[in-house]
Amino acid sequence: MSRQLRIDWTRCDGHGLCALLFPERIELDEWGFPILDPQGLTEADLPAARLAVRSCPRLALRLERTVERPHERPHGRANDRVSAP
Amino acid sequence: MSAVTVPPTTGPGHLDHPVRPAQQAALPALPPIYVAGTARLLAAEHPTVPARDRAWLIAAARSVGLLGRGGAAFPVAAKLAAVGAGASVLVNGSEGEPASWKDRVLMRCAPGLVVDGALLVAGALHSRRITLAVSDAPSAAALQAVVQQRAAGDRVRVVLTDNGFVGGEVRALVNGLDGHPAVPGGRRVLPSDRGLGGRPTFASNVETFAQLALLAALGPEEFARIGTAVEAGTTLVTVHSPGHGTSVVEVAHGAPLTGLTGTDTGPVLVGGYHGTWTTAADLRVERPMLRAAGVAWGAGVVATLPATTCPVGEIARVAGWLAAESSGQCGPCVFGLAGIARDLIALVRGQRVDVTALRRRLGLVAGRGACSHPDGAVRFVATGLQAYAEDLARHEHGSGCGRPVLGALPLPPATDRRHRDTAPGRADDEVRR
Repeated sequence: MSRQLRIDWTRCDGHGLCALLFPERIELDEWGFPILDPQGLTEADLPAARLAVRSCPRLALRLERTVERPHERPHGRANDRVSAP
Repeated sequence: MSAVTVPPTTGPGHLDHPVRPAQQAALPALPPIYVAGTARLLAAEHPTVPARDRAWLIAAARSVGLLGRGGAAFPVAAKLAAVGAGASVLVNGSEGEPASWKDRVLMRCAPGLVVDGALLVAGALHSRRITLAVSDAPSAAALQAVVQQRAAGDRVRVVLTDNGFVGGEVRALVNGLDGHPAVPGGRRVLPSDRGLGGRPTFASNVETFAQLALLAALGPEEFARIGTAVEAGTTLVTVHSPGHGTSVVEVAHGAPLTGLTGTDTGPVLVGGYHGTWTTAADLRVERPMLRAAGVAWGAGVVATLPATTCPVGEIARVAGWLAAESSGQCGPCVFGLAGIARDLIALVRGQRVDVTALRRRLGLVAGRGACSHPDGAVRFVATGLQAYAEDLARHEHGSGCGRPVLGALPLPPATDRRHRDTAPGRADDEVRR
């Protein structure tokens, strides 16, 4: 069972602590909002990930189990990932 | 409503079948309406809708491949199976996509089918509450009249909402109807788990309910007599084409897209302002097939630009509107879309823009918000710039394409726009200036 970080974007204000505490898997974009490494977390990542979660002043970061939730991926969302032109 | 005889005229594109305006004269405030082939939703008369139980509806919806008509194209059978007895029913007719007219056309031309579909689903799910959410008064009045005719006023409420583009997203709509701000929540909780009043809710687009009514009345075999084996029946499409303006067409699944747009066009925008610009040939109106081709059918909007307009300017204008429509909750959407719109507008004005940075920003927004607004918005911009790469290069390296921005893609009037003074991107006005 692997785990992954998730961001509640409605809460995140771009304080940036997560990227300071867990730079191996989190970087900041030009506006100061976190970019998560799309790779799942390894066992060795978990302590740093938990620290980042605990330290978020907006409680916007969560550590979740990776589960396939088929009804979160409805049809027609084929190109959720858009490549830049 | 009875059919009005109108002399035959030519519709947009080159349809295989004769095209005839349906019921148009009675509906002056709507765009022209055409039926390509068999009219079902837009037929002059509709069949009586018998009661069906949940198991029948699920099996029938599965066998005809019925997909939700709001944009996400979620399988209706799965959605019905996801809610238990007593779930609330929410009919979404808010149609916040400014390029789409098909829901309003449906509610005005076939309000009976919409209400009967809602009553059908409510019967199958033993629901006591049906909510019809609509954002225009004429549609609300048409639905309300049918509700009274069916003596269903105790179970059905018609609610006028005015929440704009993102507010029409179903989770935002649920929040708005429950008296909260009409914005999507931070966690992706589906209405089937927690919807209206915190209760499980079967929520779908108005056309989905009308299709379910037809399915219950015709039975799956007759329903599948037209359309394809993968996706049976018909669908409504809003078509924007140079020379024909805006029209709404009922078309059988499997019809070639060129039948709606014509063949002599540039790139085609499929799916509206969260949609995809494509130059692919041989596309057909069938959601699974389009999805496989990397094109989201979305709310069923197909648009082409006149050769006389500046495509980069058209894309910039809509990008500015999309940025302003952000509900303002999520940083990457607020700052990303505004930044992208600003870059595009600068390009159109002939200013020097770091296109490499623009491309990077376009890749940084998708998947980083509470709803799919940022994803859809960058899909629209990124695929548009890809499809019009030559024009983009003329703006990037030279003095531009020399064409004016005609405003060929429809946007709501500026006075109707929400967040006008607070939103980051007011790019639309800047382009016009």
